[in-house]
Amino acid sequence: MSDARPTGVIHDIGYRHYEGRRLGRGPAFAALMAHNLRGAFGLRRPFRAKLVPFLLGGVMLLPALVSIAVMAMFKERALPYHTFTALLQVIPAIFLAAQAPYLAALDLRYRILPLYLSRPILVTDYVGAKLAAMTLALYALIAVPLTAMFIGELVIDLPGPPDTHGYAAAMTTGLILAVFLAAAGLLVASVTPRRGLGVAAVAALYLLTSAVSLVLYGVLSATGHDDEARWALLINPFFLVDAMQTWLFGTEPVTGTGYPPGPITAMLFVACTALAIGGLVARYRSVASR
Amino acid sequence: MTILATEGLTKRYPRVTALDRLTVTAGPGVTGLVGANGAGKSTLIKILLGLLEPTAGRAEVLGMDSATQALAIRRVVGYMPEHDCLPPDISATEFVIHMARLSGIPRTAARERAADTLRHVGLYEERYRPIGGYSTGMRQRVKLAQALVHDPRVVFLDEPTNGLDPQGRDDMLALIRRIGTEFGISVVVTSHLLGELERICDHVIVIDGGRLLRSSSITEFTQATETITVEVEDGHDELLARLAEAGEQAVRHRRRLAVKVRSEATFDAVRDAVCDLGLSLIRLERVRGSIEDVFRGELEEVR
Repeated sequence: MSDARPTGVIHDIGYRHYEGRRLGRGPAFAALMAHNLRGAFGLRRPFRAKLVPFLLGGVMLLPALVSIAVMAMFKERALPYHTFTALLQVIPAIFLAAQAPYLAALDLRYRILPLYLSRPILVTDYVGAKLAAMTLALYALIAVPLTAMFIGELVIDLPGPPDTHGYAAAMTTGLILAVFLAAAGLLVASVTPRRGLGVAAVAALYLLTSAVSLVLYGVLSATGHDDEARWALLINPFFLVDAMQTWLFGTEPVTGTGYPPGPITAMLFVACTALAIGGLVARYRSVASR
Repeated sequence: MTILATEGLTKRYPRVTALDRLTVTAGPGVTGLVGANGAGKSTLIKILLGLLEPTAGRAEVLGMDSATQALAIRRVVGYMPEHDCLPPDISATEFVIHMARLSGIPRTAARERAADTLRHVGLYEERYRPIGGYSTGMRQRVKLAQALVHDPRVVFLDEPTNGLDPQGRDDMLALIRRIGTEFGISVVVTSHLLGELERICDHVIVIDGGRLLRSSSITEFTQATETITVEVEDGHDELLARLAEAGEQAVRHRRRLAVKVRSEATFDAVRDAVCDLGLSLIRLERVRGSIEDVFRGELEEVR
C-alpha cells in the first residue's frame, strides 16, 4: 500500500485539532434527514439503488404528461388533481414498500444504529429524521407530477380559471397521506432487520388493506348495506385520505359512492397516524436500549 | 484531570450482573480496559456514553455525569463499537462526512476533517468506493476514522484489533498509540488480550465478572515480572546452585535459566556466577514479563 503513495508530493502535516464551531441537534437532524432522503432515491449510491425509485417516479409522471398532452390538444382537463393520488395509489404503495425497508432495516441489519446513538442526538431525533425523509420522498413522488400538471395547465391556458382549488387540495392531502404512509411503512419495516422481508411485509399490508376493503365493500353493498360498505372503503388508507379530502375541500369522492361523515374519518386518520408514529418511536426506544 | 470515573457502578440484567459495584478512575493517555469476553467492558462503555442506564452507582466522563449530560459527553467523545457497524452501499468518505455532521461539524469542515482523518488511519484511494467491498482491516480503519472525525477529547475503542491479521493488528496498535500521544486524544481501549495492550497503554484496568480486579500503571504491572534469561553451554545446574547461594531466585527451563530481577545487583550476580564457574555464555537477555502472567497469577489468587 505504501508503494502506491506518491512520495514528496503529500506532506504529512500531522494531526490537526478542530477549533471551529460545533452545531447543535438541529443541523444534525437536518443532516440525518438529508442523508436518508438521498438514500430513498438512491443518490450517491450505486446505480441499482436508483433504479426502482426513479422508475416509479417516471411512472408517476407519465399520466401527468398524458394529461398535459390532452389539455394541450383538446383544451379540457383529462385527470382532475384531487383524483390523481388515489387513482395511482399502487405506485406510491410500491415506492413505500421498496424504500421504507431501505431506510429502516439497513441501520438495524448492519448495526449502524449504535453509532448514530453515540452521536449527540436523541432517539426521537433519529426517528424524526427518518420519518421526515420518508415523508418528503413520498411527497415528492406525488407532488412533482401534480405540480407538472398544474404548470402545464397554466401554460396551456384552458378556457376558464385554472383549477387552483383542486391543485391545492391534492397537494395538501398528498402531504397528509405521505406522513401516514411513511410512519406506517417505517413501523412495519423496522420490525425486521431483513430488507426483503420488510419489502414483502409492507407490500402485503397494502395489498391486504386494499383487498379487504374491496371485498368487504363488494359484499356489503351487494347485500344492501350501503352505509356499512362506505365504512369498509376507509380500510384502504388512500380512500381514508380521499374521504378527508372530500370533507376538507369539498371535492368529489374518487370512489363515486361517498364516505362516512368527514370529522369521524379525520379523527380516525389522526388516530392511525399517531398510533403509527408512537409505535415507531417505541420500537426504536426498545432497540436502542439493547 | 480524570477522563472517566465510576463509583459503585452496577448494571444488572434479568439474568446476569454485567457490572458489580465497579469503582474505577482513569487519567489522560492510553488506558487499557482488559477482561475476558463478558467481563462487562462493552456495558461499561455504553453506560459512559449514556446509552444504557446503570442499575446503581454513577459514572462520569471528563467530569460530566453520563446519566444527565449524555449529549454533552457524546459531543466530545468518539466511539468505535466492537461489532461491524458500516453501511455497505456508500463510500467511506460519504459515511465519515455524515458522521462528522451528526456531531455538529459544519459541512465544509466535515469534508476536510473526513479527508484528513481517513488519511491518518491509512485509507487512500479506496475511500471513494462503497464500503461493502472493503477488507476487515479497511473496515476497522473506517470505524476508527468515524470515531475521530469530530476531533473528540476521548475515544472509546471497543476491541479494535478484532478479526485483524498479525500485521493489521500491529498497524492498528501503532495507530492507537499515535492517537494517544501525537494526536493528544485520550484513549480507552478494550481487549481480551492483555499482551496487546501492554505495548500501547499507560494504564491498565482489569475487570472480571463486572468487578475491578486491578487498576495500575503499566510499569507497575511489568516491573513485578521482569526476569533475565540466561543460556550457557553446559553446567546449568551448577549455575543454578551458585545463584541460589547468592540469594537469587532462578528456575531452570530445559536449556535456559529464568532469573527474577530483584534489583540491579541481580545482573552482577549472574555475571559473576558465570565467570567464577568458567561457563561459556550463549545468551543473556532481559525479558519484560507480560501482564498476562500477572493477571493469571492474580486470577488464581482470587479464585
